[in-house]
Amino acid sequence: MEIDGNTLLFIIIVFYIFFSSPGGDGVSSTFEFNQMKILKETLDLEYQLFNNMTYDSNFKNITGLKLSYQDILDNPDQNATFPLPNKNYNSWNVGQSHMLLPDKVINYIQDEVWNISELENKNNVFPFNISSSLRGTTDLISNHKYEKIRMPIPNFYKTPSGFSVDQPELGDDYSAEWPGSSEVHNVTFQRGDINIKVTHINRVSNDLGSSKKYSFNSQDDKWKFLELQITFNDDAEKEKHSLTTFGVYDIQRGRILSLSDSAKFHSLFAFPHYMSLDQDENLRKESFEQSKKLITEYWDTSKYIDTLRIGDLSAAYHNAQEKCEYAIFLQIDPWNQYTKDQLKMIDDELNWPLGRPANLSDLPPISISSGLFFSPDCGVSLKLDNVRGPRYELQTKKVRYHLLCGVILIMCQIYLLLCQMKHTNTPSSVNKISFYSFRMINLVDGILAMVYFIASSIVAELYLPLVISAFCSFILASLFETRYLIAVYASQANEEGISIRTLFEGNTEGPERQRVIPEVPDEAAISGGIYGRFFFFLVTFSFLAISAPAWPRNVRLFVEYTGLFILNSYWVPQILRNAVKGIPARNIRRRNENARNRGQTKLPLLWKFVVGTTIIRVLPVIYIFTYPSNIFKHHKNVKFVVLLSLWLLFQVSILYSQDILGARWFLPQHTIPEGYSYFKSVTSQYLAEHGDESLVETNSVDCSICMSGIPLYVDDKPETHKVDQYSYMVTPCNHIFHTECLENWMSYKLQCPVCRTPLPPV
Amino acid sequence: MSMETPVGLFQYPVTKLCMVSCAVVPLVASVAGWKYHFLLQFDPFLSLHHQYYRLLLFQIGCLNESDVALMVLIWYHFRQIERVFGSLKYINLISLVFVYTTVLLAVLNTVMNYVLPGWFWNRYPTGALPILLALFHFYKEYTPKIYEFEVFLAPFIRPKDKLVIKLSDQFLVNALIALAMLNQGAIGVATGFISWMIGVFIDNGILVGLSTWKLPLMARLLSTRARTSINAADQTTSAIDTPQRVRTQDILQDTQAAAPARNDTPSTAGITTPEDSEPNDEPVRPLRTQFLDTFRR
Repeated sequence: MEIDGNTLLFIIIVFYIFFSSPGGDGVSSTFEFNQMKILKETLDLEYQLFNNMTYDSNFKNITGLKLSYQDILDNPDQNATFPLPNKNYNSWNVGQSHMLLPDKVINYIQDEVWNISELENKNNVFPFNISSSLRGTTDLISNHKYEKIRMPIPNFYKTPSGFSVDQPELGDDYSAEWPGSSEVHNVTFQRGDINIKVTHINRVSNDLGSSKKYSFNSQDDKWKFLELQITFNDDAEKEKHSLTTFGVYDIQRGRILSLSDSAKFHSLFAFPHYMSLDQDENLRKESFEQSKKLITEYWDTSKYIDTLRIGDLSAAYHNAQEKCEYAIFLQIDPWNQYTKDQLKMIDDELNWPLGRPANLSDLPPISISSGLFFSPDCGVSLKLDNVRGPRYELQTKKVRYHLLCGVILIMCQIYLLLCQMKHTNTPSSVNKISFYSFRMINLVDGILAMVYFIASSIVAELYLPLVISAFCSFILASLFETRYLIAVYASQANEEGISIRTLFEGNTEGPERQRVIPEVPDEAAISGGIYGRFFFFLVTFSFLAISAPAWPRNVRLFVEYTGLFILNSYWVPQILRNAVKGIPARNIRRRNENARNRGQTKLPLLWKFVVGTTIIRVLPVIYIFTYPSNIFKHHKNVKFVVLLSLWLLFQVSILYSQDILGARWFLPQHTIPEGYSYFKSVTSQYLAEHGDESLVETNSVDCSICMSGIPLYVDDKPETHKVDQYSYMVTPCNHIFHTECLENWMSYKLQCPVCRTPLPPV
Repeated sequence: MSMETPVGLFQYPVTKLCMVSCAVVPLVASVAGWKYHFLLQFDPFLSLHHQYYRLLLFQIGCLNESDVALMVLIWYHFRQIERVFGSLKYINLISLVFVYTTVLLAVLNTVMNYVLPGWFWNRYPTGALPILLALFHFYKEYTPKIYEFEVFLAPFIRPKDKLVIKLSDQFLVNALIALAMLNQGAIGVATGFISWMIGVFIDNGILVGLSTWKLPLMARLLSTRARTSINAADQTTSAIDTPQRVRTQDILQDTQAAAPARNDTPSTAGITTPEDSEPNDEPVRPLRTQFLDTFRR
């Protein structure tokens, strides 16, 4: 193709369209610019109001905080406007007249959650750093007892109605007018699981483009600013709620307050008032001032308004529409066994391990003694039960060790496989290996490598152990196992197109039943095909494995259990293969060993390999299903593991019985056809047809391998009956060779050296 | 004994052990997150936390990658000492040097910090730097220089006078040692110098033990290795005088070390034992070959 000026220009324009993305805050149209402008103006105004707020004055014109619970009780259809007639904005009380919470909930928080009267004067010590992943259960208190506070979404958040629209709408929209999303605005299960991931926000960036971060918290020893990622769902995972919220942690009292933030609820400004629920006015004033300072510092240092992006705006709109707003009150269990200095050392050691004497193995989990979720706009309240989890760094350390144990297992598997490869180093012995057994093993290792590899790019802290795990399992799967599979496939290529029945009989077709001899492909073609299939299966199954956690629980469990069961049936194809190949019993093999053809009849799989592989592969399953705090957070199910182990044991014992009793012991006698025997006498007719004229007298033929004569046992010539029938071999295609010559050849190829007919293994 | 040391690590069990562990220990430690155990500072680990086990560990693992690379190279060049002394004496010497350097550095450090006012020596070197420096004396003392060469340089300022730098075949080791010391800063240079002195004193007999210090079981371990390899040497090099062979361990090591240089066949081909004489066209493939075959095909 010739490229002239116009084409070049066209290409440049196309590339420009492809690569030009809105920079900085992501605003790409006048409409979006105006949306952002309104949002920033609103926030700026609200922040000024917040700055002027004192511990004894009310919220004024702040989104989501214009109404109190009492206002709704007085008039359920009250719109959220400012100022409301007859409302006093210059006083503040802890109670439903000023807050979004009903009195009952406030009392519950004061007495049950934060234990304000009891804990006020105690000198408890609470951990400074509570970054962790907490898990537990949650119980519904009520979902219909309380009135729902009306929280409108401002209209400027809406997407434009047409291309020519530049100015967003003004005014508000109430939930009754929203498109059907009502089922999300409730919690309908009684008891469910909850997962809270707590992260500290210590440093923030103040520029959209730069990654430089600044610390902002001047009261770092008393207050922490948190981010909480919360998900809770019922047991069947039909109803799942997830929210990301800011939180404030009061280290002195062990209290956490977290408020969700969206287009209908600007909760950052509510923290100071809701953090100070104490009875004592001085205490209230103190915590109000301090938490207000924390919020102000965060706002100013991060330049909250300047660093807003259009993505934040649409996320806020989405959250407002789809989710309930929550006010979350948590109480942390104290760590009174430590002094503050010890806690500091523990934090340092976790953050930057140097081997300080911090005794981390005894560190208790971060545990929430009591907690309450209340949604003012949905009227839902939930309480927490037994929510706890280890410190994040400790959890990471544990995962690291468990991953390294996995690496050791993989290395053992590589060693065993090498032993097995060494054991079967001739085509004749590889021929008896089941291709599908190793294919299943290979598939599991390949998926493991893929999952490790993907995980290594997600979990930065565990990059090194994950990459090493991925590397080891990839080496195992794609080098050694695939290499072995190629060898197995190549040795079995001449069986293609033969029925199982024929295989059973050991290829006893006469030369008159000439079938088309399959073209035996060379190794390069085989390896290309096998690698192709390997990667195809790998990608398919990896996609399945990665998307699996998002499936509904029932489907997931079904797929998981059947998948595990099928993938752990890897010895079944080998058992069948043994039966097809008809490996004789152990004592017969011993006898044959004396008959000079040992090495040809050995069992294809090393016992070391069979037992070792079974153990190596079942150990991780046992770990996942029985160890309660395993790294995959998998549920416990001992029954399944026992069943699976018994199933594997059954397979191994069948293999063992085949070793002892012969591979076909479980088949009824009459179904077993006679196998082909290479050692037989010949007739004089045969000799006349095939023998050289000069040799007919000596009753011998030439071996085409060593070119010397073979004395034969001819049925109708008694003078030849002294010849040992085991000294020569007659192939199904009626060619005769010395036993030693043909056996040597057969350890390379199972084809007749003269006419390339497939040969049954000895 | 030939003048050139054979290339490779065949028949250098101790050097092989040192090189492999020098690279593998830091790798495993960093993957498992145990690397900090190799860090030793007087304050806070000794004075405050009393973690004296770190004294035993600090020479075993390096803390950064360039140290690992340098020390592996130095260990490789020090295989000359193993060749001169024999494996048994070499490993005994290494362990003796390890004990002396550890003890003396710790004593000196404590004395300096507690007795001498105004001096504070906090950081210890990492990796086997003290051991290598002490062995450096033995290397210089017992390894002959094979050749020297001169490098003529024209200085910038007065190009007429030629600047002559005399270098020997050992200049690479000297450079590596200097780099390894400089890589750890002033502490590396200072402790390196002390360790070198320790090496000199051990050789002079001021620090006793050079002839008497023996690691238990080591003789047996190394001699079984040697015995199996006698067979190999027997079959591959029949030209060696047999009566002399068993005289001393040292000569044994030397002849074996020289063996692969004399005929280039890999040793393993010769180890076929007589009882393994069944007709088998497939040559015995050692695990190593199988591994490599995997990549080749």
